[in-house]
Amino acid sequence: MFRKHHFIKISLTFLITTLFYLHSFAQNWDIPDDKKTKNANFKFTNQTISEGEAIYTKNCMSCHGNLGKDNSLKTLNPIPPDLASVKTQERTDGELFFIITTGRMLMPSFKVILSEEERWKLTSYIRSLNKKYVQIVSETNTSKSNLIKIKMDFDSLTNKLKVDVKANETSGVVSLKDAEVMLFVLRYFGKLQIDKTVRTNNEGIATFNFPKDLPGDKTGNVDLVVKVSDEIYGEVETQSKFKAGIPTDKPSLTEKRAIWNVLKKAPIWIIITYTSIVLIVGAVLLYIIYSLMKLRKLGNN
Amino acid sequence: MLDQSKTDKITTDLLRPIRLNKAFVLWMGFLGISLVICLYAYTLQLKNGMVVTGLRDYVSWGMYISNFVFFVATSLIGMLISAVLGLSGAKWAAPLARIAEIIALAFAAVAGLVIISDMGHPERLMYVFIYGRIQSPIVWDITVVSVYVVISALLLYLPLIPDMKICYNKLEKIPKLNRWLYKILSLNWNGSLEQEKIIKNSTRILAILIIPVALAIHTVTSWLFASTSRVGWDSTIFGPYFVTGAFVSGSAAVIIAMFFYRKNFKLQDYITDLHFDKMGKLLVLVSLVYLYFNLNEFMVPAYKMKKFDAIHLNDLFAGSYALMFWAVQILGLVLPILLLLFRKMRKPLPITIIAIFVIVGAWFKRYIIVVPTQEHPYLPIQNVPLNFKIYSPTLTETLITIAPFILVLIIITLLSKLIPVIPVHESIHQNEETQNEN
Repeated sequence: MFRKHHFIKISLTFLITTLFYLHSFAQNWDIPDDKKTKNANFKFTNQTISEGEAIYTKNCMSCHGNLGKDNSLKTLNPIPPDLASVKTQERTDGELFFIITTGRMLMPSFKVILSEEERWKLTSYIRSLNKKYVQIVSETNTSKSNLIKIKMDFDSLTNKLKVDVKANETSGVVSLKDAEVMLFVLRYFGKLQIDKTVRTNNEGIATFNFPKDLPGDKTGNVDLVVKVSDEIYGEVETQSKFKAGIPTDKPSLTEKRAIWNVLKKAPIWIIITYTSIVLIVGAVLLYIIYSLMKLRKLGNN
Repeated sequence: MLDQSKTDKITTDLLRPIRLNKAFVLWMGFLGISLVICLYAYTLQLKNGMVVTGLRDYVSWGMYISNFVFFVATSLIGMLISAVLGLSGAKWAAPLARIAEIIALAFAAVAGLVIISDMGHPERLMYVFIYGRIQSPIVWDITVVSVYVVISALLLYLPLIPDMKICYNKLEKIPKLNRWLYKILSLNWNGSLEQEKIIKNSTRILAILIIPVALAIHTVTSWLFASTSRVGWDSTIFGPYFVTGAFVSGSAAVIIAMFFYRKNFKLQDYITDLHFDKMGKLLVLVSLVYLYFNLNEFMVPAYKMKKFDAIHLNDLFAGSYALMFWAVQILGLVLPILLLLFRKMRKPLPITIIAIFVIVGAWFKRYIIVVPTQEHPYLPIQNVPLNFKIYSPTLTETLITIAPFILVLIIITLLSKLIPVIPVHESIHQNEETQNEN
């Protein structure tokens, strides 16, 4: 009875371990063909490389280490590769861009954190040590993004935000169909995505459900950012203020007297305790000096 | 008549060391040259910055701060001997009071300089006064250490006033400047009852005042650590733990000083075996209390072994600090306690050797309190060179760490060549009292 139990236990453990290994080996970057061939629509220059390096230091270095130094964080599973390695450099620009954008397992997605332009600049930095690399610049017309006009409309009754995306073509105003739209609200340390990413309908309209409990400023205003990505028109971002949050008036942590505050805002009890101790000790010392002066005078007589 | 001859003997005996001799010049020369070498190391630090030390981003408090804690600790002995023992009427300690005060003053005064070496550029000290916040233990520390230096100086000076007069009267062959100094410092002492009363009262007030101040300096020093939530520092007993540890190193320092004064100044009649015996018992007492605090400080977290505590404690008990940790606990604390339980071990020579072990152990104990914690932060250390992870002091840093010790020795040497290390006036007084009793 006991033995049988034991056998099942061991077999199960073995099976699970094997499956886990197979799982982590089998799962690979699954990159769609059309994304593989995607390219940046600007030339990689020293300027883009140095901007990319700043982005890399802030977002990537903690795991991937310094480029070409093979000092990535080996304690992670899977081990993050050194991005200057041959295996990574063999990938196309589109593949790198896709990996940065979507992320996988431990690698986070940078779709929301970095703009498309920043992700391409990052790619240019990752290429910077590769001498054999020749860039293919996309021939997409960048000027097309200037034509996009975004209109935001917040309905406070239903708490819905309507985004209307149009393009001012020479032939007249057209609605952008099936364009990807993301909604963010600005917070202290970055952008917080609201609702899911949605695609515009045939009229070029995307609708978002806005939460009812989002804290705003004193009057309830929040800064909303809408990001539109379209295959033809490229990426456009616009920002505007709406009264969509709950009015919040929390005093800042440095407003009142506190132990962590500046000297002028020290807690009263500390000021009283410290000053009175110093004064008392000072007074005693002065008394001693006075006594010594008296002693000297006594000697004169 | 007999009385007078005895008084004369005491005076000549105690004033004899106050003269320049060859040994003094050689010793000061040695200290001076050593100091110059150490100051050269300090100029290197001024010129090239803190990079000449082993201090990096993670371990930013190294030997300098360990040294500071050690200096503040050792200076606490002045309070124990001249105030606690004095007020409780332990007469045997009276001849040792001045030695303890000299040690207290020297160590406390130099402790401030040790901090400046850790600041890199010395002018940064001004920032403490310009931008200091009274909510910060650093400002409290600076306040109490300065107050302690002043009180220690006064407590050294007050019983010295009658002695200054004796020095002025008896020492006629010394340079004019010294005599003039004695005259000024004796404050027209004429030994009247009123003057005696002023000295007695003032000394008493200071002896009472110095107890809370001394407790404060080391408690606040411990708060520099305990007011953070880092492993090894985040402890509620850090204040008393530091204070009791301070008495251990201070008592050891006094024993060593007693031995050298007795031998070099030929004070065998004044610093007797009885004094060593009593100091030995005192050292056992304070060491036992300290051992008790050590037990609490390490046993309680080690029983629980919380995640981050475990990393730290394993490194101390069985890791890279194990040798230092156990050497400090056994050679610097447990063995001295056991040995000093035997009367033979409390004789001058053996107890001095034990005291040297205790004081060296006390220094390394401060190192163990200050450094390892910083190598075990809560957030993982990533992508840094090895010398950021593991602190190893450099030669320059070691020389700068030695400098304060030389300074302390210079101050002690100069003081003991200017003033009688055993109170003359008090010794005469006590002698008269015992004769009257007979």
